Amino acid sequence: MSPVSQTRSPLDWVKTAISRYWGVVGVLIAWQAWVTITGVNSIVIPHPINVVGDLVFNPGVYLANAGQTLFLAAAGLILGMALGTMVAIVAWSSRILSGILVPLGLIFSSVPVVALIPVLARLLGYDVKTVLGIVIIISFFPAFVFTAAGLKSLPPGSSDLFKVFGASRWTRFVHLVLPSAVPNWMIALRLSAPPAVLSAMLAEFLMGKSGLGFLFRQSATEFATERAFGTSVIATVISVLCFTSAVAAEKFINEKWK
Amino acid sequence: MKMTAERWQSLTLGIVGIALFLAAWEAIGVNRLAGLTWPPLSAVFQFMFDPTKAQLFIRAMEASFSMVILGYVTGSVVGIALAGLVHVLPVVRPGMDRLASVIHAIPAIALAPLFIVLISREFTGMAIAALNVFFILYVSTTSGLNNSTAGHRDLFQVLGSSRTTRLLRLDLPAALPAVVSGMKYSVPAAFIGAILGEWFGSSRGLGLLMVSAMQNFQIPLLWSAVFIASTASLIVFGLMGLLEQFVYGRYK
Repeated sequence: MSPVSQTRSPLDWVKTAISRYWGVVGVLIAWQAWVTITGVNSIVIPHPINVVGDLVFNPGVYLANAGQTLFLAAAGLILGMALGTMVAIVAWSSRILSGILVPLGLIFSSVPVVALIPVLARLLGYDVKTVLGIVIIISFFPAFVFTAAGLKSLPPGSSDLFKVFGASRWTRFVHLVLPSAVPNWMIALRLSAPPAVLSAMLAEFLMGKSGLGFLFRQSATEFATERAFGTSVIATVISVLCFTSAVAAEKFINEKWK
Repeated sequence: MKMTAERWQSLTLGIVGIALFLAAWEAIGVNRLAGLTWPPLSAVFQFMFDPTKAQLFIRAMEASFSMVILGYVTGSVVGIALAGLVHVLPVVRPGMDRLASVIHAIPAIALAPLFIVLISREFTGMAIAALNVFFILYVSTTSGLNNSTAGHRDLFQVLGSSRTTRLLRLDLPAALPAVVSGMKYSVPAAFIGAILGEWFGSSRGLGLLMVSAMQNFQIPLLWSAVFIASTASLIVFGLMGLLEQFVYGRYK
């Protein structure tokens, strides 16, 4: 903001850090203080040191499960986005089809989707493939709704221009309609990334076979609270990574596109 | 609002779409196309409106919806209040933004153990719902508060109004459409929070019905619980949509 900060002194740096992170640090301090003052048992709330210790000394447990969850979430997100885009394109080709499909898509994308997980788990069977299926279905609806809207929001006048020059429907689609849907597509990706991770974990939690969600459930029932909190930490890291990379991808694409 | 031919057509197509969806649900269920775990719509309705089950559903709905409402109200009030605070005190804004997005990035499943210890099993759903709603409203309100035009702000400045007066008389009315949109989009988030919370060992509610029905293979019960939660969320979402249209017409 200020043009003065061309040469940044360490003091400026500290000031920026404080102004950005006072909230996060404050919460951590409050947590530590609360644990120390009330002196709760470490089975109830583990000490941060022990959580870090479990993460450092048992990386294998976390890595294997986190890898599986991350893979399922990412693969499901990509497949769901692809499927949603394809259906949106099919719907674009016909007025009647889009009139029928778009309201349904809107309804499903405003339903609390994670509530569908138990139904899907029962339908598809307790299996790792089911987790993938659940993530695909949950990422499908935002992708469909946003892409369908993007395919319709053409720059004003551009469609007429293509018609005047006698472009075929196919040319118009490839060179005008599809590119103008890309920013919307990126919004869908950003919006679906955190729910994809969350729903993968929830599906694993409910079905209890493998993955981070399962690790979480297992450690919670065995009162291994360090591991439960360690799982929370890993889950947060994965979720933040997915979200920030989706945001970065959106920024990158939008800059190239405009 | 005038009903043009185009609007009528899209309305008709929308209704046709929903009817087709419900018919497909029924047909798949009746013909067992998706196995035993896909009941026909009529069977779900029959189960849901069975008088002997009424007590069960009403108790579960009371428990879940009270958590949804509590979480929704708490999250909205805190989100709007903090957005107003950082608007009046811009110094604290970067830290608050960062805190809100960090909290939002933590998956609800990771927060559950903390809430179970800090609050109680019964109120975990409320806390998750409140956090979800808080984030959406904080973001939409902070961006909405910047909607007032520079000319109006200058006018208030020249007439010597305080920051609080400007917030209440100018910025808040200008932010209202964004706030109402935020309130609409946070409805499903509140339901998700409450249901999720109940999956972590609550002793009542629709979420508990879903999990126990899933584990015990009570298919009609499972579908009924999911249907009730989804429909309730959709109805509130639709009502907020109407409110949104009214506010957009009035304040924009």
